Amino acid sequence: MMTLYRPGTGWLHRMATGPKIILLLLVVLSVSLLPAAWWAALVAAGVSTLAYAVAGLADGMRELVRQIVAVRWIIVIMLAGQLLFLGPEQAISNTSRVVAAVVIAALLVITTQVSALLDAVERGLRPLEWCRVDSQRAALLLTVTLSTIPVLARLAGEVRDAQRARGARASLRFFVVPFLVVALKHADDLGDALAARGVR
Amino acid sequence: MSIRLDNVWVRLGDTDVLRNLTLQVEARTVAVVGENGSGKSTFARLLGGLVTRTAGELAVLGLDPGSRSGELRRRIAVVFSNPDAQIVMPTVAEDVAFSLRADRLSTSELQERVAVALARFGLTALANRPSHDLSGGQKQLLALCGAFVRRPELVIADEPTAYLDARNARRVADHLLEDAGHRLVLVTHDLVLAQRCDVAILFAEGRVTAVGEPAAIVSEYEAMLR
Ligand SMILES: Nc1ncnc2c1ncn2[C@@H]1O[C@H](COP(=O)(O)OP(=O)(O)O)[C@@H](O)[C@H]1O
Ligand SMILES: [Mg+2]
Repeated sequence: MMTLYRPGTGWLHRMATGPKIILLLLVVLSVSLLPAAWWAALVAAGVSTLAYAVAGLADGMRELVRQIVAVRWIIVIMLAGQLLFLGPEQAISNTSRVVAAVVIAALLVITTQVSALLDAVERGLRPLEWCRVDSQRAALLLTVTLSTIPVLARLAGEVRDAQRARGARASLRFFVVPFLVVALKHADDLGDALAARGVR
Repeated sequence: MSIRLDNVWVRLGDTDVLRNLTLQVEARTVAVVGENGSGKSTFARLLGGLVTRTAGELAVLGLDPGSRSGELRRRIAVVFSNPDAQIVMPTVAEDVAFSLRADRLSTSELQERVAVALARFGLTALANRPSHDLSGGQKQLLALCGAFVRRPELVIADEPTAYLDARNARRVADHLLEDAGHRLVLVTHDLVLAQRCDVAILFAEGRVTAVGEPAAIVSEYEAMLR
């Protein structure tokens, strides 16, 4: 479901996190700014393929396919919606640009450990400390949020299962309250664990 | 003196959860037993500096958690029941390294410490795996690893085996009880496990009702349940 770090020794893996973020941001930006034309779709596809080919991954093409499969629903929804209203050229070029931007951005997470991201965010936010942004806390919040997503997804599944087991029909109303309860309980436990592990 | 309490009260919301505790324990491993709601977790959290006392005097490792919480945090590790809620980082090795963030170690020293800790808990092969994909038992070993990598002088564990099957509970308990230069306060419902400790404390309704040799305390607890 979520993009994850893949250990490796390629140049993108070894590159310092700050410059890597800027580099990938530039590529993502230029892809996003492509116009809505057939040739732009080709360029977007070409740039993504090239990016994965030269990133120094163990198997770049397989990783690219994996990433595209991961966003297949975005592709389907965007394509369907835009084909209806905008016609094939716009639909296909818009979708390619967005998918290219997403998969290129994913290269950051694939080649960077979260702890390195955490350090980079912390450093990046440090200049904001004059206006009372606590860079350490902000970076930690980001990390904890990222790593909590799979847990919340599982808790949501458990709540749904518990309701089905008791014969309840699927309904948002009866899902939200119990889910909030378990999510808040989790947040409370996590807070304790963070405090116990030295986070003030 | 590892733990000393003098007329300690803890009030949460509008209930007195711990009432007038007076206690001195000097033992390497201490079991805490008692019924649900008797105040065991609050006691564990009090020792770990996660709740503050309302009244009384308290010393853990000779320090007052109220005024010396920073130093105590560095010397104490706390392990909880719920393995999921103790995981912060997305991969196993990073999660262990997270415990050492505040120490600002060099990269090589950090990796060395993490590798040694992973090996000790049998997690080396899982180092780069997503932490949330581990089994419950592996997650709890990861939580222990994250606690022990800090080389704590005191480990406080609140029902660390509650969610585990017999085999994993056994492994977690063995790691906690092993003499690796740390002291242990172990809250547990497992009365066999409690008897592996040097001293046991019995809680009932927010008070300590007995302290002593674990086998005797466990019989007293069982008599109370009858
Ligand atoms: N944050 C809180 N606010 C109010 N009451 C609490 C709080 N935490 C625990 N309690 C109450 O304190 C009592 C003891 O709880 P706890 O220490 O968790 O017991 P144990 O771990 O032995 O089951 C329970 O009656 C519980 O409802
Ligand atoms: Mg409890």
